[in-house]
Amino acid sequence: MTSELEGRMTWSQRVQVFIQSSPARMAVIISILLFAITVAINPRSLNLSALGSIILLTLLLSFASAGQTMVLIGAGLDFTVGAVMSSAAILTTYLMNGQNGTFLMVFALAMAMGAAIGFLNGVCCVKIDLPPMIVTMAISNVVTRMQYVLTQGYPSGYASPNFINSVISRIGGFLPSLSLYAVVLFPLVFFLLNRSRYGKQLYLTGNNPTAAQLTGIKTNRVRILMYVFSAMLSAFAGMLGAAYMSTARCQIFDEYAFNSLVAVIVGGTAFEGGIGSYTGSIAGALLMTVLSNGLTVLALSQPLRNIVQGVVMVLLLIMYNRARAVRQ
Amino acid sequence: MIDVKRALSRFRRSPAFAGFTLFVFVLILNVVVQGPGQFFSSRSLNTLFSKNMPLILTTLALSPLLIAGTLDISIGIQLALVNVVSIMVAQEWGVSLYIGFLMGLLASLTVSAVCWYLVSILRLPSILASYALIYVVRGVNVLIMDKPQGQVPAVFYKTYDSLIGGFLPFSALMLVLVFAIWAYLMRTKFGRNIYAVGGNPRNAFAAGINPAWVQFQAFMVKGFIAALAGIALTLMTASGNPLQAEAYGLRALSACIIGGLGFGGWGSMSSAFFGAGFLVLIQNTVYYFFNFLYRIIPGFTVTSYWQNLVSDVIIFLGLLMTIVTAKEQREALKQGFVEQFKGGERDDK
Repeated sequence: MTSELEGRMTWSQRVQVFIQSSPARMAVIISILLFAITVAINPRSLNLSALGSIILLTLLLSFASAGQTMVLIGAGLDFTVGAVMSSAAILTTYLMNGQNGTFLMVFALAMAMGAAIGFLNGVCCVKIDLPPMIVTMAISNVVTRMQYVLTQGYPSGYASPNFINSVISRIGGFLPSLSLYAVVLFPLVFFLLNRSRYGKQLYLTGNNPTAAQLTGIKTNRVRILMYVFSAMLSAFAGMLGAAYMSTARCQIFDEYAFNSLVAVIVGGTAFEGGIGSYTGSIAGALLMTVLSNGLTVLALSQPLRNIVQGVVMVLLLIMYNRARAVRQ
Repeated sequence: MIDVKRALSRFRRSPAFAGFTLFVFVLILNVVVQGPGQFFSSRSLNTLFSKNMPLILTTLALSPLLIAGTLDISIGIQLALVNVVSIMVAQEWGVSLYIGFLMGLLASLTVSAVCWYLVSILRLPSILASYALIYVVRGVNVLIMDKPQGQVPAVFYKTYDSLIGGFLPFSALMLVLVFAIWAYLMRTKFGRNIYAVGGNPRNAFAAGINPAWVQFQAFMVKGFIAALAGIALTLMTASGNPLQAEAYGLRALSACIIGGLGFGGWGSMSSAFFGAGFLVLIQNTVYYFFNFLYRIIPGFTVTSYWQNLVSDVIIFLGLLMTIVTAKEQREALKQGFVEQFKGGERDDK
C-alpha cells in the first residue's frame, strides 16, 4: 500500500486496511484494550498471579491451535482437536498414575495415538474426499465414545508430580513454567510452517491444489501429513492440559475444538486456505483468553456471560472475516 | 414395463437415492434384529416416531439451508428456546399452551432472522457465526427459565403419543405437514431459485435472483420447521429445560450429509428424511442387538457406553458409504444430461 493511495482513502477505509493488513497486531491491540477495560472495572484483577494464569491459558490454547492453523492453511478443518486433547489427557493421568519418570513412555504413546487419529482424519478427508467438517466431527464422536467405553465413564489416576510442576510452577513468582515448553514448541511450528520445504508446500497446496499438483508436489501426502501433525500437536496439548488439571475426566477439553478454531480465525487464517500464520493464532489465543478472563472478573451471571461471549465473537468475526459480496 | 424402468432410473439419479440405499439397508437390518412382528406392531412404530420426531424434524429444518448453501448449527439449542418460551408463556401469562407454541414459533423465526442477517448480510462464515449464536441463545434460554421446570397439560402429550385410527402415529402428522408445505414450495419460484443460489450465488445474482432474499426465505422455512421440532420436543418431554437438545444441531447435520445433501444446490428434503431415518434406526437396531446379546449370552453385561460407541462407529461408516454412492450419483447426474439410452440398465450397487 503506497502512501499516495493511503492519502486518498477515507477514514473508515484506513481503519479497515489497518485491521486487515495484520490481524495478529489487531488481535493484540484488542486484547490489551479488553484487559484495560477489565482492570478499569475491577482494579483488583491486576496482579501477577492473574497475569500468570492468562499466560498459562493462552499458551495452552495456542498449543491446541497450532495444528488447527496448519490444517486451515492447507484448506482443511479439524474438529478432532478437542476429542484428541481429552483422550491424551485421560491417557496421561491413567498411565502416569502419580509416578515420576513415566513422561517419555506416555509421550510416545500419546504421539502414537495422535498420529493414528490424524492419519484416519487425513485418509478420510483427502483420499476418500469427504467434507472435512463432517468427517472430523464423526471421528471426534467416535473418539469421545471410546473414552467412555475404555474408562467406564470415570478416568482414573493423576499426572505425575514432576510433570505437574513442570507446567504450573511459577518462575519468578508469575511466569508459568509452561513457557519452557513454548520455547521448544513455538520455534518448531514456526520452522515447520515458514522455513521448511513442507511448510512451503502446505501454503501452496492450500492456496491452489491444482497448481501445487502441477508443480510436482504430492498434495495428497502434504494434506494427510497436516492432519497427522495437527492430531499430534493436539495430543501434546492434551498431555500438558492433564498436568494443568492434574486429573482428567471424559470430554474435559472438548471445547478446545471450537475455541482453537475461533482463535485461529481471529488470528487471520482464512477458511479458504493458503493464508495465515501461527503468530496470528497465538494472538488469537491471547484474545480468547483475555475475553474469557474478563468475563470471569466481571462476575456476570452465567447466562449474561454466555450472551456477551457470543456477541463478542460475532463482533470479532465482523471485524475481519467477512466474505466478498456477491456483487464484487 | 418401460415406464417402470424409466421411473426407476430417474429415481436412481435423484439426490435422495444415496440416502435411500442406506436407509433401506438399515431398515432391513432393524427388522431382522428386532423381529418383523415386533417392529411392525403399531405400538413400537409409534414409539419410534414419537421419540425421534424432534431429531427428524430438525434434520428436515436444516435441509433448505444446506440446499441454499448455508448452515445453522445453533438449531439444536433453538429447539430448547421454543420449548422454554412455550412453557414459560403458558405458565407466567396464564394462557393456553397454544399461545405458548405461537410465541415459540415467533422466537424461532426471530433467531432464524438473526442468523440470516449474520450469514447472508454480514457474510460471516456460517459455521462460526452460528456457533457464536449457540452461546447467545443458551444465555437467553437460561434468562427466560433458570432451571428445568414446568409441565404440559396431559391432554397435549397424550394426543402426541396417540395413534390416529389405531395405526397412524400422531407425531407422523407433523412430518406429513412439513412434506406437504415443502412440496408446495418446490412448485413456486422459491423452489427453483433456492437451487440456483445454493449452486452458485454469483451466477444466480447475474441471472437476476437476489441470493440474500432467497436465503431469507430458506431461513424462514427452517425457523418454522425448527419451531415444529421444538413443539414436538415439548410434547415429548412434557416439561421445560433450557439446556437440552444442543447436540441435535450436529447430529442433524451429519444426518443431512448421510442422506446425500451436498453443500449447496444439491439434495432434497427426502434426502434429509432418509438421513435422519438412518440415524434413528441405527440407534434402535443397536439397542435391540445388545438386548439380543444379553438374552443369548448368559452373564453378558456391558454398559450403555458400548451401544453409543457402536452406533457412532456405524454412523461414521455410513458417512464413508455415502461417498461411494454419491460418486456414482454424480456420474448418474452427468449421464442424465446426455440421456444415455443404457441409463436404466446400470449396475446397482
